[in-house]
Amino acid sequence: MTLDRAKEIVTNRHDYAREWKKKTGSKVMGYFCTYVPEEIVYAAGVLPIRVIGSHEAQSYTEPHIYTMFCPFSRDVLAQGLRGKYDYLDGIMIGHSCLHLRQAFGAWMTNVPASFSYYMYTPAKIQSPHAKEMMLAETTEFKKAVENWLGRPITDDALDKSIEVYNTNRRLLKQIYELRKADPPPLFGSEAIELVLSSQLSDKAEHNKLLESVLKELPQRRNGPQGGNIRLMIIGSEDDDTNFLRYVEGLGATIVADEHCTGSRYFWNETVPEKDRLRAIGNRYMNRPPCPTKDWESRRRFVHIMNMAKEYNIQGAILVQQKFCDPHEFDIPPLKALLEKNGIPSLFLEFDITVPIGQFRTRVEAFLEMLQLEVV
Amino acid sequence: MVTSIKKYQTRPLDSFKKAVELRKEYYQNVREAKQQGKLLITGGADSMVALPAGLGDYVFFEGEPYGATISMDPEFSGKCVEAAEAKNFARDMCAYMRNYWGSMFLNKYYFGGEFPKPDFVMQLGFCDTHAKWMQQVGEYMNAPYFGIDMPVGTPGRNVEAKVKYLTSQMNDAIEWMQKVTGRKYDDDKLREAVRNECKSSTLWSEIVCYNKAIPAPLEQRLIFTLFIICILRRYERKSVEFYETLRDEVKQRVADGIAAVATERCRLMDDSQPPWYFLQLYKYMEKYGVSVVGSHYSFFLGGSLEEMPDGSLGAPKTPDEMGMPMKTREDILRAYALWYIKKPIISQMFALPHFKSETMLRLVKEWKVNGVIFHLNRGCEGTAMGQMENRLALTKAGIPVMTYEGNMADRREFDEAQTLRRIDAFMESLGLSKLES
Amino acid sequence: MITAGIDVGSKTVKVVILQDGKILARSLVLTGFEQGKAAEEAFALALKQAGLSAKDIQKVVATGAGRTSVSFATESVSDVAADARGAVFINPNARTVIDVGAEEGRGISTDTRGKVIDFAVNERCAAGAGTFTEAMSRAIEVKLEDMGELSLKSTQEIPLNAQCAVFAESEVVSLVHAKTSKEDIARAIHDGISNRIAAMARRVGVQNDIVLIGGVARNKGFVASLKRQLEADIKIPDEPEYVGALGAAVIAAS
Repeated sequence: MTLDRAKEIVTNRHDYAREWKKKTGSKVMGYFCTYVPEEIVYAAGVLPIRVIGSHEAQSYTEPHIYTMFCPFSRDVLAQGLRGKYDYLDGIMIGHSCLHLRQAFGAWMTNVPASFSYYMYTPAKIQSPHAKEMMLAETTEFKKAVENWLGRPITDDALDKSIEVYNTNRRLLKQIYELRKADPPPLFGSEAIELVLSSQLSDKAEHNKLLESVLKELPQRRNGPQGGNIRLMIIGSEDDDTNFLRYVEGLGATIVADEHCTGSRYFWNETVPEKDRLRAIGNRYMNRPPCPTKDWESRRRFVHIMNMAKEYNIQGAILVQQKFCDPHEFDIPPLKALLEKNGIPSLFLEFDITVPIGQFRTRVEAFLEMLQLEVV
Repeated sequence: MVTSIKKYQTRPLDSFKKAVELRKEYYQNVREAKQQGKLLITGGADSMVALPAGLGDYVFFEGEPYGATISMDPEFSGKCVEAAEAKNFARDMCAYMRNYWGSMFLNKYYFGGEFPKPDFVMQLGFCDTHAKWMQQVGEYMNAPYFGIDMPVGTPGRNVEAKVKYLTSQMNDAIEWMQKVTGRKYDDDKLREAVRNECKSSTLWSEIVCYNKAIPAPLEQRLIFTLFIICILRRYERKSVEFYETLRDEVKQRVADGIAAVATERCRLMDDSQPPWYFLQLYKYMEKYGVSVVGSHYSFFLGGSLEEMPDGSLGAPKTPDEMGMPMKTREDILRAYALWYIKKPIISQMFALPHFKSETMLRLVKEWKVNGVIFHLNRGCEGTAMGQMENRLALTKAGIPVMTYEGNMADRREFDEAQTLRRIDAFMESLGLSKLES
Repeated sequence: MITAGIDVGSKTVKVVILQDGKILARSLVLTGFEQGKAAEEAFALALKQAGLSAKDIQKVVATGAGRTSVSFATESVSDVAADARGAVFINPNARTVIDVGAEEGRGISTDTRGKVIDFAVNERCAAGAGTFTEAMSRAIEVKLEDMGELSLKSTQEIPLNAQCAVFAESEVVSLVHAKTSKEDIARAIHDGISNRIAAMARRVGVQNDIVLIGGVARNKGFVASLKRQLEADIKIPDEPEYVGALGAAVIAAS
């Protein structure tokens, strides 16, 4: 199954990137948040990969980040301090939360790289002026990459990059579409691995992977069972597929998600226009938002409720990285909204390592409750 | 560094009482805004508070100082944070906000009566918390909400685009305010408020520069009482008048060699907001002959410093003093946008850590500081951001540094005994022992 | 010159009597509720061992959390100063001193003379290493002194993820319910604590020699975990719990 290949990329992400580098002789750039215009990096012939943690207990970050910041940001920084990403040629981040910004700042200060860039990605994406601001920033970012590499990024390269990225988004969406069925042909943990592997690999290669997954899925025999509880996972960055596998082993199937390691990452495409940078920037302003960019009105909840309806959700698990301020704001009103719409939810706080034992009782009780409701 | 104990002359500060009065009057104005026929607007302390001035008389009810105020009263604060937690909001969120929200959820204003109902909510967002805090307030109070997005993290880059982004949003905000209040907007009033704000800020900046003197004429506790007017009422003429008087007074103190701490023999700086309910901390350090002469936070929440021709840090010029045009609305908004873009609290604290580290190193040098105490503040992710890297940068420069953990406005996270013991150990490592009283 | 150092910890009081750089006597008593009384008791015990009376002692320096309760002390110093001084007295190459006691963990960087350059104390959530191990030993029904040996026999690594001791406790309970072996749980507990101690020590910058002191230094399982975490060798003095008291006695003599 090609799905296994996705899992392999996620598990052996460093090997993948190192091999890619060897194969192409090109540079690799790590990015810290999905609010970065990856297309520009890709158009420059540089591989953008998302920097994520390893879920191992560590003692390296305390001199650099105070423990009140989220476990994801600390786990990410630990990777840098321990040299796990020593093959990166550059790092960048788009303006989002303070937690990741801190990991980025400490990384930049303590781990040498020839290129590091902080991009201001507007926070009030609902403002009619945000797109103009975004354009100014993507323009500067493009220049910075060009200076770094010593060569221009052509319109032609941008067009190709946009095309590759859009194809990736379209294919992921097609696969997500299949999850509306009962049973869906793939597990939620596998779907997240597809998105994660997209963030960790060359999109042109990944498109081929997705195409063969799409071909294989209709014939699949060992997928989820029908009649399982249909769950949605919602919340912070979440690459803990071990936890998802555990939940899906208990008679539930995760059929939809709202994470930046899931649907938020690829849900909308770039709408091509003559000004390529504007087209690229607009896409980030229009994507399903992270809570930190969701004001004054709440557009994020619209995306969530649409998904919940379309995927016929019976219950939701709200996953929050401990101390993640942006999500801490949204969770109480979201929980209330889900409840109002007849969707019970379970709130879980994730740390660097997930205490499955501790969560077991709660997850099992939650699923039991949902089963009773179905009866 | 420790020498024989010399006692400096000291005397009370006349402006102290005035600051207390002005603050008291402000909270009264918040309560009575409606009766006084003024608009009541709520938002963050870092909001563009002069912007509503064109609508006529108003009071801008600021969230953070109100949260700090509540936290000084253990009983009321306890009820407030519990009320926020009862609504399922996490206890590690901004402690100012949880006090403010709690007061709102309980419908109890700390200074008596019900929680004041705002005509509208206006915020400037540059922290994860700002915009989302007020989103909740707008929804809960059923008040219209406008947020302005402040570009941060990239000092010096794309300045024109940032100005345009901010002025466009401000123009939208003006249209919007007229719509939600039904009032007409008067640019002359806007101009006056912006002038007051900028002048208050530069006066405050001038005042903190006098604290370079040995002995320091002000110390941190005093500074906290004095800087608040520049936060709460900076758009008012009263604020300018207050700081003019204060500036003259502090200048005179320096000329007369007046100390804030008579036994000053060691000068420290701290970082982040203090635990507001335990300002005795400063008094405790005075027993060792320590004068805390200021901080990045207390200097820059209201003020700003820039390099003077002689290479030292000094107060910046106001837009008028720089000769910027202030005739049309566009002129004023442009000046105001640039003013916020340059504010160190926004441009440094919320950017990558080296920006703040560099400034802290300069403050240490010019304010002749012997060591730095970091309050690792669990109550504010904004000021806590980068603190550990700032600490490393100072340590690397050979500056003695100490940290203690706490929370600016939630005393459940503060361990008084442990903190004092740490201070003792730090004093000891600085070669200081308690002075006989 | 004969001096005494008294370390009033949250759990035990330690006394060291020193004459011209030589230890004459040591004593240890439980702190209990009355710190002052315990200090007197411990002091009397040490004097008896040394065959001295109180007037023979020229200077008494107190340290530790309860140092102000020692009414007969000439002066007092902080734990960090005493720790650093004591560690360097025993091992002149000591540059990083890690003190793990019942309630508090400390990381100290020191110069060649035992002067504190920088120090970090565990934050609240990571408090109580010693007490925590004790409580956990009860949870898995193992004697505290056996915890170390037991954990060395562990065959697998289980991360205890919680930062906070209260949550860590509930995790241990769920490990017990999941029928995890006591060996593995014991190791998980030591790994969890040493992880937090290592993180704290890294704040002051870890340099050789690393000297581990305090009662918890006697726990072999903890030491093994800490070595793994710091990826470095750790020196442990023969009587690790007395180093603070010794440091106080050394300071008294200088």
